[in-house]
Amino acid sequence: MNEIFKLDLCKVADLIKKREVSAIEVTQTAIKRAEGLQPSLNAFIRLDAAEALEAASEIDKKIKRGETVGSLAGVPLAHKDIFYRKGKLTTCGSKIRSQFKSNRTSTSFQRLSNAGAVYLGGLNMSEFAVGPIGNNIHYGDCNNPWNLDHASGGSSSGSGAAVAGRIVYGALGSDTGGSIRIPSAMSGVVGLKPTQNRVSRYGLMPLSFSFDCSGPMARTVRDAARVLDVIAGHDPKDPTSSQRPKDNYEGACDKSIAGLKIGIPKTYFYDEIDTEVGVALDLVQQQYSDLGAEIDFVDVPDHNHMNLIWAAALAAEASTIHRKWLRDRPDEYGPMVKRRIEFGLYQPATRYLEAMTLREKYLREYCKTALANCDVLLTPTLPVTAPAYNDLDVGGGKNMPDLVLKLSRNTRPISYLGLPALSVPCGFSKLGLPIAFQLFGRPFSEAQLCSLGAAYQNITEWHHRVPDTALL
Amino acid sequence: MSEINDSFVKLISSVWHRFTPSNSDASTLADMLKPMDIAGEEVAENIEFDDEPSDFNAALEELAEKTGGI
Repeated sequence: MNEIFKLDLCKVADLIKKREVSAIEVTQTAIKRAEGLQPSLNAFIRLDAAEALEAASEIDKKIKRGETVGSLAGVPLAHKDIFYRKGKLTTCGSKIRSQFKSNRTSTSFQRLSNAGAVYLGGLNMSEFAVGPIGNNIHYGDCNNPWNLDHASGGSSSGSGAAVAGRIVYGALGSDTGGSIRIPSAMSGVVGLKPTQNRVSRYGLMPLSFSFDCSGPMARTVRDAARVLDVIAGHDPKDPTSSQRPKDNYEGACDKSIAGLKIGIPKTYFYDEIDTEVGVALDLVQQQYSDLGAEIDFVDVPDHNHMNLIWAAALAAEASTIHRKWLRDRPDEYGPMVKRRIEFGLYQPATRYLEAMTLREKYLREYCKTALANCDVLLTPTLPVTAPAYNDLDVGGGKNMPDLVLKLSRNTRPISYLGLPALSVPCGFSKLGLPIAFQLFGRPFSEAQLCSLGAAYQNITEWHHRVPDTALL
Repeated sequence: MSEINDSFVKLISSVWHRFTPSNSDASTLADMLKPMDIAGEEVAENIEFDDEPSDFNAALEELAEKTGGI
């Protein structure tokens, strides 16, 4: 099966279970592609080929013996190199942790392994998960599969590139202000940021205690839903994880969306978008209307203050985590990353507490207003397409804050509110760069987002397109 | 209007965090901090703490999608 890399996660998992293709064959293909595309994409920090082949072999043996295997049995995945595995390297995209071996295994990683997923290696990322661009001074920039001169998006840069490049069938990313959705949008894949506390954070190196989430990035909404089905749910090792029973996310992909109400924010989210992004989003609205959803324009609360106080709270938490390294090993950070983290050292405790106090109030206000009369809101994930690396100030200079604010403009508020959000590809610019929309809804409405995202992909073909760079 | 400047950044760095940033770093950080300082002051004007104690995580559960998925 020469083109097995073009299949989606659910399809390849089904073929492996039926023994129409072996886990070894799929994994060998993935390894070959990871090696072949590394010089152009630089998606991997570390490829664990031997370990992957051994895991795939075990899966094949189990299937041959007729044993029950999980929903991801034999499927090659790789993850942002920030999910700990006991006794194994996890760099977090940094020089400081280049030799770090944790004493624990991330719950998300463990659950994926239990479901039979084959782990291919640690994926490139923005250093310490800071930054929406996808550059990395220590391991090299991760390049956009649709145009190698353009940014892949961060901070889960390798996750987006490896999935879009058809190396792996899915990947975990982490999202504190857009780090799943931004690289998903820039790389033309699906990204799902769950509700705060829906997925355990145990074994995920923190950037922010309050805003970090981990979630799936994949080629289709159904693929992402299947991964979420595996990783979601309460974890006794993460006391903040929700006790609320999880939904059937993959099952939700088959539900009708007729009658669901989609709100279009009247302000903020569409204010600074490129023309091409606007045209694509207009078409998405029409397509949802054709599918039977009700479209309405809604007022949303002011986001400008929300964004700034989110940044203050995030920086305060990040600088708390990094304070010792900032003092003792400052030269081991990239300049942009160091600047954004150390920014928190100058926030008064009162401002941090104001930001955290307001978080609940803003959430309640949002649910009473913008989300009161509609099920979800529809926005562009990014106001622009992936910028060229040459056009970016990635050195931490004076233009850096504006750049960060622009790229994460539509994702940050959702992180502050703790709401679930789904990014779905919805077209390409004239330069051939992906455009994506974002759906977000009330807390724990991931199933609804999956229904809506899958319905859209049932009538469109953007997710079937393969970048030329991926055709080895 | 924010009074934050590079001298303030250097003072906080050296007294609270035991390091001294370069002039350039201090200047850039001061520029980054000013809009945050202004926004923080504006927001603070309207905060009431009579609803405390509160719990964001409990609010997420309370405000969850009512249908429990479709």
